[in-house]
Amino acid sequence: MAKGITGKIIEKHADGRREGEYVSTRVDFILVHDPTFAILLPELKESGKEIWDKDKILVTVDHFSPPASIERANIVREVLSYAKEKKLPHLAVHQGICHQLMVEGPWLKPGTLALGADSHTVTGGALGCLATGLGSTDILYSLITGKTWLKSPEAVRIDLREKLPSYLMGKDVILDLLGRYGEGGFLYRAMEFYDMDEVIPMDDRFAICNMVVEGGAKNGLFWPDRVTENYLIERDGHLGRSANWVEGDFEYSSKIEVDLSKIKPKIALPHSPAQVIDVEEIRGETIDQVFIGSCTGGRLRDIELAARLLRGRKVSRDVTLLVTPASQKIYQKAIEKGYISAIIGAGGVVLNPSCGPCGGIDKGILGREEKCLSTSNRNFKGRMGDPSSKVFLSSPLTAAASALAGKIIDPREVM
Amino acid sequence: MALPEIISGRVWKLGDHVNTDLLHPPSHFSLERVKEGIVEGRLRLGSGVKEDSSDQGWIIVAGENFGCGSSRETSVRGLSAFGVKGVVAGSFARIFMRSLINIGIPVFETREIQKNVKDGDLIRIFLTEGWIEGPDSKQFSFSPLDPHLKKILEAGGLVSYLQCEKHEI
Repeated sequence: MAKGITGKIIEKHADGRREGEYVSTRVDFILVHDPTFAILLPELKESGKEIWDKDKILVTVDHFSPPASIERANIVREVLSYAKEKKLPHLAVHQGICHQLMVEGPWLKPGTLALGADSHTVTGGALGCLATGLGSTDILYSLITGKTWLKSPEAVRIDLREKLPSYLMGKDVILDLLGRYGEGGFLYRAMEFYDMDEVIPMDDRFAICNMVVEGGAKNGLFWPDRVTENYLIERDGHLGRSANWVEGDFEYSSKIEVDLSKIKPKIALPHSPAQVIDVEEIRGETIDQVFIGSCTGGRLRDIELAARLLRGRKVSRDVTLLVTPASQKIYQKAIEKGYISAIIGAGGVVLNPSCGPCGGIDKGILGREEKCLSTSNRNFKGRMGDPSSKVFLSSPLTAAASALAGKIIDPREVM
Repeated sequence: MALPEIISGRVWKLGDHVNTDLLHPPSHFSLERVKEGIVEGRLRLGSGVKEDSSDQGWIIVAGENFGCGSSRETSVRGLSAFGVKGVVAGSFARIFMRSLINIGIPVFETREIQKNVKDGDLIRIFLTEGWIEGPDSKQFSFSPLDPHLKKILEAGGLVSYLQCEKHEI
């Protein structure tokens, strides 16, 4: 029996070579973005080697998007000049965050083995595939060879039961797990989720998988079901499973049961995504900024639920509300459905799709001792700005409710 | 064989769950100034060793889940530029551990040494023997490195490993 679905996917991609506990595996797809691609470019050029299969690479410019300094402009310039010279077919410049663009495109399907030069590549596992992040040098090796060396991780089975109550989002579910098991609680492991009632929307599944790396996991994935199938049909026009899809019995080192109806809205306190309490326990904490966006919390359902709360109301004058749709596609849909107009009407500021405030890259940087409630994935000390600033992590619903109140509140108070 | 028999250096001690954003703040992302990020990181981490350089080179001794968070390789490249010759930890975040090995910095897993060393102590790692010699000549054993990772280190990093591999195939 393979170690979970993940172990089976690795087995299916193995090319027969083995060293120690590592097996050489074929790779189906590779994601890179401006800073992490720029790091490996000098060595890639120097090697004189070509990318093994250009059709399987997505190059995005999403971090320095558009660049806010001369140094960053030059980094982006390097990336663009290489991509154009080599005629890389999949180049997305300022189109949104790489982890959203990766799942909007046709590459990831159940059974796919995908790598990305960014730790949040794990997001893609929501589509039933093995998606994981690696450093630039590892990605350089894979770009040249089309392969990587992987160890089969121990797998944890997580059964999610009941449906999400109206006040709860995928973000609350993963924060709850991180709070219970800690920052290294899933170190090296695969977190494999089974939505027993097949009711958790895909955007919430992306948020859940996005943050498995905050528990140290190698990857997270959802057993593909009707929700996955509907997403793939809408995306691709047909249901095409990867030739590598796996069936059979899977071995799990442990099992976790989650009753979604019992979880209350959650919040991570500074400076760890695993320092989690119920939102109601910190009710009234003042904040200076609310950020709704990132590869965790900037998808259409995130913006929809936030906009519904904000419509016809006003953001507190004590708070700046920043909203960044995760991609141009989401932005466009949010305009068509009137969400953006509701956000602007409430006094929110909408930024162009990019990583932006989440990594303290540009716009929405926090000043001395400022406090931000963010729908992103990391609240490490100094990540969003001054080292004395503080970041709290919550769902977009909690974020929108708190923006209205000017302080942290449970979304149930205004729903 | 790029891997020496003995690595010696001064201890730079770190705690549990030290993430790459702390080690190398994201606002300091740069291709040319990778070392500056580590200098800023040390400031933020409040290292007990004030000097930014050591004639002996540095050996990091960290706690659990070392290097969690972002995959940005500027953190490990910055450590290399800073003179870090080896990293000891109770456990490593996986991307960070791979990235260290990929650029040729050896890693050692042990939970025994942390309580017995402080910033600035001179320690020696005996790679073949499998133990670390602490400041009072006390010995601490570490888990043997996986043969695959060892092979990459012996090649001098993943890029050199790839070149060796091409010859083998």
